[in-house]
Amino acid sequence: MELQKKIEILSAAAKYDVSCSSSGSSRKNKPGGVGNGHLSGICHSWSEDGRCISLLKILLTNDCIYNCAYCVNRSTNDIPRTALTPDEVADLTINFYRRNYIEGLFLSSAVYKTPDYTMELILGVIKKLREEYRFNGYIHVKAIPGADMKLISAAGAYADRMSVNIELPSSQGLRLLAPQKNKESIIKPMGLIRSGIQAKREERKLFRGAGSFVPAGQSTQLIVGATPDHDLNILKLSEGLYHRFNLKRVYYSAYVPVTTGPNLPAIVKPPLLREHRLYQADWLLRFYGFKADELLNDAHSDFDTELDPKSDWALRNLHLFPVEINRVDYSLLLRIPGVGVRSAQKIVAARRIGPLSYDNLKKMGIVLKRARYFITCQGKYYGEKSMNEHIVRYGLISGKPEIQDSTPQWEQISIFPLLPQLPPPEVRLATLTGEL
Amino acid sequence: MIYLYDGSFEGLLTAIFEAYYRKENPEKILRNKALQQTLFEEYIHIPTDEIKADKVYDSIRSKISHQALQHAYYTYLSDFEDAGTWIYRYLQLGWKMGHKVDYHLADDRVLTVHNTSRKVFGESHLLLGLVRFKKLSSDLFYAPIEPAHNIVSLIAPHFSSRLADQNWIIHDVKRNMAALYNKVEWVITELDANPNLTVDEEEQAYQGLWKQYFESIAIRSRVNPDLQKRHMPRRYWKYLTEKQML
Ligand code: SF4
Repeated sequence: MELQKKIEILSAAAKYDVSCSSSGSSRKNKPGGVGNGHLSGICHSWSEDGRCISLLKILLTNDCIYNCAYCVNRSTNDIPRTALTPDEVADLTINFYRRNYIEGLFLSSAVYKTPDYTMELILGVIKKLREEYRFNGYIHVKAIPGADMKLISAAGAYADRMSVNIELPSSQGLRLLAPQKNKESIIKPMGLIRSGIQAKREERKLFRGAGSFVPAGQSTQLIVGATPDHDLNILKLSEGLYHRFNLKRVYYSAYVPVTTGPNLPAIVKPPLLREHRLYQADWLLRFYGFKADELLNDAHSDFDTELDPKSDWALRNLHLFPVEINRVDYSLLLRIPGVGVRSAQKIVAARRIGPLSYDNLKKMGIVLKRARYFITCQGKYYGEKSMNEHIVRYGLISGKPEIQDSTPQWEQISIFPLLPQLPPPEVRLATLTGEL
Repeated sequence: MIYLYDGSFEGLLTAIFEAYYRKENPEKILRNKALQQTLFEEYIHIPTDEIKADKVYDSIRSKISHQALQHAYYTYLSDFEDAGTWIYRYLQLGWKMGHKVDYHLADDRVLTVHNTSRKVFGESHLLLGLVRFKKLSSDLFYAPIEPAHNIVSLIAPHFSSRLADQNWIIHDVKRNMAALYNKVEWVITELDANPNLTVDEEEQAYQGLWKQYFESIAIRSRVNPDLQKRHMPRRYWKYLTEKQML
């Protein structure tokens, strides 16, 4: 098969894998080599669906022995099958990289012949890239569930990031839709990668040349809306994964009905809003100090479609508000609806100089549409007359078409440092000599 | 009174030096060429003086902060005509406030410089991804860009460590300048628009494969051109391989 055709098939088959992050690795280039990591990650393009393209995301093969109901590659599906050779993958990666199309490679695969056989193929490719092609750019590989732990460990020495996909939020879901996979075969490699990272970190403290092991950490992905699990279960699961396995990211993928089957829900459109809410909530877990239990509970086990999770939480906790913007501590500042990490940092910095007024906040670019219901500035309240749940709720919903306004949190949300870096001396030299 | 400088960072710093020592408090500090002179203004040309510039440079760093110097430099690289004036006002405040100047986030002088330096930084970060090299027959990779701000010197270091084993040129076509790299070091130089280029024979093939990839990685049921444009504004499409017709 022609290379172009292979790319068409094998990248289309990889597109439901959400992760395209290239952040977290500061791998250095070596003399005579090509490539390096960029700590905050770089997007190289945005595809027609608005998602960041950072990596060449592709399957080694779509030829699968498994038959997961939700997947196009399932063995019983009648589609053309193909595979890339290791040299084809390496050559494409290098040539795309040299033209600055990509940050690196995200290599995944269907399970071809056996999990071990597949993992060996993947290992072969990344070894080749690092050793023969002297490639030091970003590499993310999938750990194939069920593969020998030795192979997974070996891959970790070449990869920047690894992921084992959880696929579905519950064991029941797995049994129903992905009967050949089980919780054990997913959790085991995750644990292995976690302890590998840990061990390498210790080792590197002792001596610098210790090599690396998955320096950009591990991530996972799960499909939302293919099983009847509630948002609460999903968020609890993520919280557990962050704590137990130190994951960098959990990705949520709205179930796209690529196929029909007796065990699958009959939906026409992927549940995008639900996916979006989960990303927002996930963000709250990781950067805003929230716990899953605060955001959802048994009586309230799915996110509100009309309100973002933080506003929803704040409405159920109106007794905590309003807070005085000039005094409230940072952790509660972060809990004010509409106030993000950057805004909170700005407020903390600016109020050192003197008390802030409502206009000051506006000027600083703090978005107050939602926040104004929850704050006072120098004692003055700027929301509606009474802080009644219905009134505030109405204000939050009608005040602003929240969905269109908040970009879904696809990678790359590169967290810009607050301040730019000064250019290195040679740049200054260039300006000194007036060449600019 | 309006000060004019030659467009270099050193020139701007010299102008700020003179403003201070001559106690003239100019209304504006502008680049020479940015200018339509009017009859009613008094213009003073400030010749660039490296020693004076260095004094200001050091004084910003020691009396205000390293950060303030960064903000000033990034703002200088912006395309705004008033950048010089903004920097001047910001530094004036800085010499009063010391390193705390950057907490004055509701002060227009600080706000303007912060926002501008952020824009410049933002564009340079975006361009790290959007630069597209073509392989030329002469064993050279060539990338044309037309950034809003003068960021070529900000992105060159990134490519010199990343694409360390290949010759490359990043050409700012709008400003007739380029960063050249020869596998050892990079320099900034003048370069006219439209150099004559012959691409390598493999080039078309890889461009085709990339377009194929770009096409098939999109999820059809989620197409969202607005989101795409929000991240990747139209003005950058001109040189994007994947946005050229097949
Ligand atoms: S193992 Fe992976 S590729 Fe194979 S059917 Fe299941 S999800 Fe699809």
